[in-house]
Amino acid sequence: MAYVAVKGGTIAIEESIKRLKYERLKKRGILDVKNIEAGMRGLIDQVMSESSMYCEELAALAIKHAEGSPEEAVFLLRAFRSTLPRKHYSKVVNSEDMRIERRISASFKNIPGGQILGAAYDYTHRLIDFSLVNDHQSIAAEMQWLDNYLTDYQPQEEAVVLRMPKVLDYLRNQGLMINYEENNEEPKDITKESLKFPTVRSERLQILTRGQTGAVTALGYASLRGFGSVHPTVGELRIGQLPIFISNPLASETNEDDDFYIGEIKVTEVETIISTSVKKGRSKTELKFDIGYGICYGQNETKAVAMSILDRCLETKDDAPTHDEEFVLYHIDSVEATGFISHLKLPHYVTFQSKLDSVRKTQKEAK
Amino acid sequence: MKRRQRTEVLIKANISVAKKLADEIELNHKIITIEEPNSGLVMVKMRETAQKHLFYLGELLVTEAKVQVNESIGLGIVQGNNDELAYCLAVIDAAYNADLPETAGWAAVLQEAQQSVLQAETEEALRILKTKVDFETVDEEVKA
Repeated sequence: MAYVAVKGGTIAIEESIKRLKYERLKKRGILDVKNIEAGMRGLIDQVMSESSMYCEELAALAIKHAEGSPEEAVFLLRAFRSTLPRKHYSKVVNSEDMRIERRISASFKNIPGGQILGAAYDYTHRLIDFSLVNDHQSIAAEMQWLDNYLTDYQPQEEAVVLRMPKVLDYLRNQGLMINYEENNEEPKDITKESLKFPTVRSERLQILTRGQTGAVTALGYASLRGFGSVHPTVGELRIGQLPIFISNPLASETNEDDDFYIGEIKVTEVETIISTSVKKGRSKTELKFDIGYGICYGQNETKAVAMSILDRCLETKDDAPTHDEEFVLYHIDSVEATGFISHLKLPHYVTFQSKLDSVRKTQKEAK
Repeated sequence: MKRRQRTEVLIKANISVAKKLADEIELNHKIITIEEPNSGLVMVKMRETAQKHLFYLGELLVTEAKVQVNESIGLGIVQGNNDELAYCLAVIDAAYNADLPETAGWAAVLQEAQQSVLQAETEEALRILKTKVDFETVDEEVKA
């Protein structure tokens, strides 16, 4: 019987997949991958971050294939990623080397280098722009705007490199913040080793940074609403390009001049400030600041801020759910969460028949 | 120019720069392809700034190629899908490793390319700096 059911399903599955293609084509318009890459920056950034693979072009293709569903696009990229060899590990990336595109602080008005708004929706009116309905018919005018924008700056002789110090160094230098020594312990890799509790910091950060945007945001928000005991202030939010280098794999000795530059990646990095009490002597405690750390691929500020809240939650003991690492880390991964939830749609005939038998049996016995 | 700087210039500059240099080598020397341009991943290792631990941020898609010129091997690696650039980078790397005479004349080309890259980055920085908040102006407006 089981064999017949599978065989019977094959044709239906093939036709179902045809329906997927039909749904993508039925309005008789085909999305160009280049157009997705050009105009869906937010979705591309989210998909790259959740799939934990940086490639805008591939993310755009996955979005097209998945008809814009982030969970399907992430699934496709994770699956593709598993077919590729990991050729190298990058040299340690430091965010001080970021080429800044946006950098703000909610804690200090005057910060070294200044508050740079960059591209942000924060101060827009959120009134839908209906002129975009037909802007593809006036490409020449839009490109003219772009050309005008590109030349609208005050030229200057000297080169300008937007690299800036960390805002919170100000608090570190004043002794108001715990200044940690560099910890050079090799990170654990959650793609190679199954998670065991308690986790180490590198595992937590890796899971948080590739967490589903909605899930990370929801749990960060829950923490603020009382299901956690962390309420931070954003010390610094920076967005920009990080250069990536690898050591020369053909050389036996490491020499920085011999490194290979391979490109740059855009990230959002957030440091939130949380006050914490530090024991001083037997009975005295002193208030100091600690940092919650958030980072993700692309420009995804809400996720990075929420990650910084969850990072701090998982570093501190509390009975609230957002401080429970198993609760947070096991439930925020896109592929794991959506995979498990959607498997409930797949045939469970045998399992359900067994439950049905049990219910019938108990009802019969009750009579 | 050392490899660290050279690869940055060649990747950030227009592909025509790398292509021109690689073409020069192809014209005068035999190039053996050891590894055709192919896709792979680079895991990004990062230092977080809260407790200064190391962790893995995620992977980056790269294209990598290997060639041999004379007895020297050259590696070309660049982010994304870019077979042509990866191959050219490998040829240029092999040329430097083999100390081919052509490389002696490349310093000026690379210097010029570096200036163009710096110019483009400066222009972008100046545009970004137009979004810098001028709090003094705000304060004055509030007083008025």
